[in-house]
Amino acid sequence: MRAESTGRRLALMLTVWLALWLGFAGPALALSLPELMGLLAERRSGEARFTEQREVATLSAPLVSSGTLSFEAPDRFVRRTLQPRAETMAVQGNTLTLTRGGKTRQFTLDAAPEMVAIVEAVRGTLTGNAEALQKHFRAQVSGRPEQWSLLLLPLEARLAHQVREIRLDGQRADLRGVTIEMHDGDRSVMQIEPLSAAKP
Amino acid sequence: MPRRRVALGMWLLCMVLGIAWIARAHYSADLSAFLPASPDTQQRVLIDQLRSGTPARTLLLGIEGGDAARRAEASRDLAGHLRESGRFEQVQNGAYDDAAWQRTGAWLLEHRYQLSPNVAPERFTEAGLRAAIDDTLGLLGTPAGAAVKGTLERDPTGELTALVEGLVPATAPRLEQGVWVSRTQPRALLLLTTRAAGADLDGQAAALQALDAAFARWQAQGLVLRVSGAPLFAVQSREKIQREVVELAVVGTLVMGVLLTVAFASWRALLVAFLPVASGVVAGIVAVSLAFGTVHGITLGFGSTLIGEAVDYAIYYLIQARAGAARGGWRHWLAEGWPTVRLGLLTSVCGFAALVFSGFPGLAQLGVFSVAGLCGAAACTRWVLPVLMPAGAAGSRLRQRLGAAGWRAVRRLPALRWPLRALGIAAAAWLAVHHAAVWRGDLASLSPVSAAAQALDASLRDDLSASDARLMVIAQGASRDAALQAAEAAAPRLEALAAEGVIAGYDSPARLLPSAAVQDARRAALPVRAELARRLDAATAGGPMPAARLAPFLDDVDAARRAPPVTAEGLRSTALGPVVDALLFQGSGAEAPWFALLPLTPSADRRLAVEQVAPALHGLPGVQVLDIKQQLDRLYGRYLHEALLQALLGAAAVVLLLGFYLRSARRLLAVCEPLLFAVLITLSGLAALQLPLGILHLVGLLLVVAVGSNYALFFDQLQVTGNVDDDTLASLLLANATTVVSFGLIGCSSIPALSAIGQVVAPGALLAMLLSACFGRPPR
Repeated sequence: MRAESTGRRLALMLTVWLALWLGFAGPALALSLPELMGLLAERRSGEARFTEQREVATLSAPLVSSGTLSFEAPDRFVRRTLQPRAETMAVQGNTLTLTRGGKTRQFTLDAAPEMVAIVEAVRGTLTGNAEALQKHFRAQVSGRPEQWSLLLLPLEARLAHQVREIRLDGQRADLRGVTIEMHDGDRSVMQIEPLSAAKP
Repeated sequence: MPRRRVALGMWLLCMVLGIAWIARAHYSADLSAFLPASPDTQQRVLIDQLRSGTPARTLLLGIEGGDAARRAEASRDLAGHLRESGRFEQVQNGAYDDAAWQRTGAWLLEHRYQLSPNVAPERFTEAGLRAAIDDTLGLLGTPAGAAVKGTLERDPTGELTALVEGLVPATAPRLEQGVWVSRTQPRALLLLTTRAAGADLDGQAAALQALDAAFARWQAQGLVLRVSGAPLFAVQSREKIQREVVELAVVGTLVMGVLLTVAFASWRALLVAFLPVASGVVAGIVAVSLAFGTVHGITLGFGSTLIGEAVDYAIYYLIQARAGAARGGWRHWLAEGWPTVRLGLLTSVCGFAALVFSGFPGLAQLGVFSVAGLCGAAACTRWVLPVLMPAGAAGSRLRQRLGAAGWRAVRRLPALRWPLRALGIAAAAWLAVHHAAVWRGDLASLSPVSAAAQALDASLRDDLSASDARLMVIAQGASRDAALQAAEAAAPRLEALAAEGVIAGYDSPARLLPSAAVQDARRAALPVRAELARRLDAATAGGPMPAARLAPFLDDVDAARRAPPVTAEGLRSTALGPVVDALLFQGSGAEAPWFALLPLTPSADRRLAVEQVAPALHGLPGVQVLDIKQQLDRLYGRYLHEALLQALLGAAAVVLLLGFYLRSARRLLAVCEPLLFAVLITLSGLAALQLPLGILHLVGLLLVVAVGSNYALFFDQLQVTGNVDDDTLASLLLANATTVVSFGLIGCSSIPALSAIGQVVAPGALLAMLLSACFGRPPR
């Protein structure tokens, strides 16, 4: 009886504790975009390794590449592909610098609105810039802070004609994956492994 | 008497012929007349560009008002109408989805093996093919893949991508709703190039009218069109100069008319007094038109300054002939007055003759105009006025009072000698200290474009990223092909600068029109079909793209091996023709070399200086870096230096002539002292008022010396003869008053070139008169 009572009490306490804990965490279940952005904005800079796999209908095998990603708030983002060939894409403010095949070229980002949208999907997420995201996409957040998912649907018709959706997955302030679904069925899946993270 | 009739008849004939010629003469209003006639290579390119290059034909448009969607709609509609009008070579608004650009895309695809910078023998080896195909496939599955996908089978090595990447400019306007928009304000943007040449102002004016007409519909709906660019400035300047020249002439004539009417109280005398002025203006315009082919608007405006000097001749004649009426009227004047007028004329001509030899056509025009104009006015006074009014003009009571007041002043003024001398010395000292800051004017200060218009221009240029190309590389060659080869030699060095981030990018005509040697080398790099097929099989083995699907690639390479070279004519069938024509052109002059221009785009966060680029291009024959702003400043510096030298020579000639006439060092000194001090005090006064002084102020100073020498000579005569009659003094005062008033009017002009002369001569002539009176010994 006593043992039983103790056991039940323990179970009850555990339940209450769990309920309390869950109750506390409850609102986080319905993680909102501003909350997610606030979480992401805490991180001012970061570096990561990525592996990307692309499935293209016309090709008999997927394309695989890998390299590093780095970002620095408010507006710098660099994607350095190391395999299979060295290639760098650096975005700073409104300037895109592309180094490919031994040549370096600069472009003005906003001269091509589709390019701005794609860049903002990643840069806006990394820096927690909800305004930049919502300018180009309808954004839907799901999951918990520990495991969230951000679905971006292009607003502009020209971009929607190319890109059906972009999905970003992450854990707290870390971006862990980017999936781009093209309109024609091709897709690119990028997996991200954080290397270091500067403290907020 | 018959001989005098002949003189009158000859004069009438000359006037009629002159006016007929003037009606048919060509007039220009661009600033290029103020650019040197014998420039070095950099200056020649710059001048060719300013005079007839694409910058001289480019208009920048901004559409404001309404909402973004309306502005975008207006931009597309306006662009469509302007293309249809046929008056514009290029109409760009950011929308590249029309038929012309689709044709251009097809043309680029067809010629990719001649144009792609990657075409080389290594590219078509097994390893090269594998790397190139991997590169292209790397774009698939990304948003950029959509562009590659359609041509994958024809172009697996991505030559079109490589080619287009090179053509996309490093800086471009922002694109919204499919059209260019400003980054800083609600404004849609367009960029036009007129078909009419830069110098064809009528054509430019017609193009601007077509523009207004095409926009009328949108204007009615509340949208506003803002226009800027060289054609607009040139057309507006011409209108402004034409309007102001007429206004100045009318106001000057009226004011002078009132003065003369009061002085002479006779319509006849008034009319006669204007004859030397009219003769001078006609002679000046005809002489300039004959010597230069065209008459610059500023030269014409300068013509109104002659009213001030030429009317003096008439005043001297009318008054002095009357004074000597008892002793033979005009014959008396011929003996007593004419020699002084003639000397005054000779000193003026000496002063301006120096300008005639200027290396700058604009300045030389002013010289020719002044010399011919003054000679014409003097000749009319000498031979025509005696026929029309042999006894001069009686004049009113005011003239007598003027004479009497003049005498009182002349007797008292010498008391001010030492204070004024001190002022002159102080002015000289002040100038010696501040001389570096005095000549602050630049070429732009000659431009009659208002500050507001310049601000709009800067803002539109900023929006369109059109202001960045301050530095450009000039590649020169004896032929078109040689210039292209020089440009190709510079390309790797510029690529290196781009990789270092020194420049964001560069443009080159050789990207679209490679030299024959490069095209031959690229063709030779393409393997024969069977060999290419073998290598392709090996390169794609085990890869995601089987060779079997790439037959169209083999076909295209095979066709490219036999294709004729890309030519400038072929390019003109596409929308890219004007791009190449703007960057590749034949220069003027006897050798007529070809120039390829490679404008450099600075990196967003860096200031690009010529010193950063020049070392990288060291050792390349025919290649140099041009800094447009620096070169314009240098041009103006040379211009100012030359004008300064000519002014000094002119002044020296005046002094020599006076010395020859006076034959006395003491008298020469007495004549020169007031002139020198008048120049020093005027110059330091204007500089102290913070006016940026330029070349035309200098021309004004020369005019002060030329006009002032007449006054100084008069007072010298006073010393010699001891006394001069009231009438002569009155004529001098009246002449001075007309000069000061007419130049004062010009000083109020909104055309900087004219106001500069007026601002100097009006106070300068008054000072020369006062100082001449002060420094003379008081007459008995």
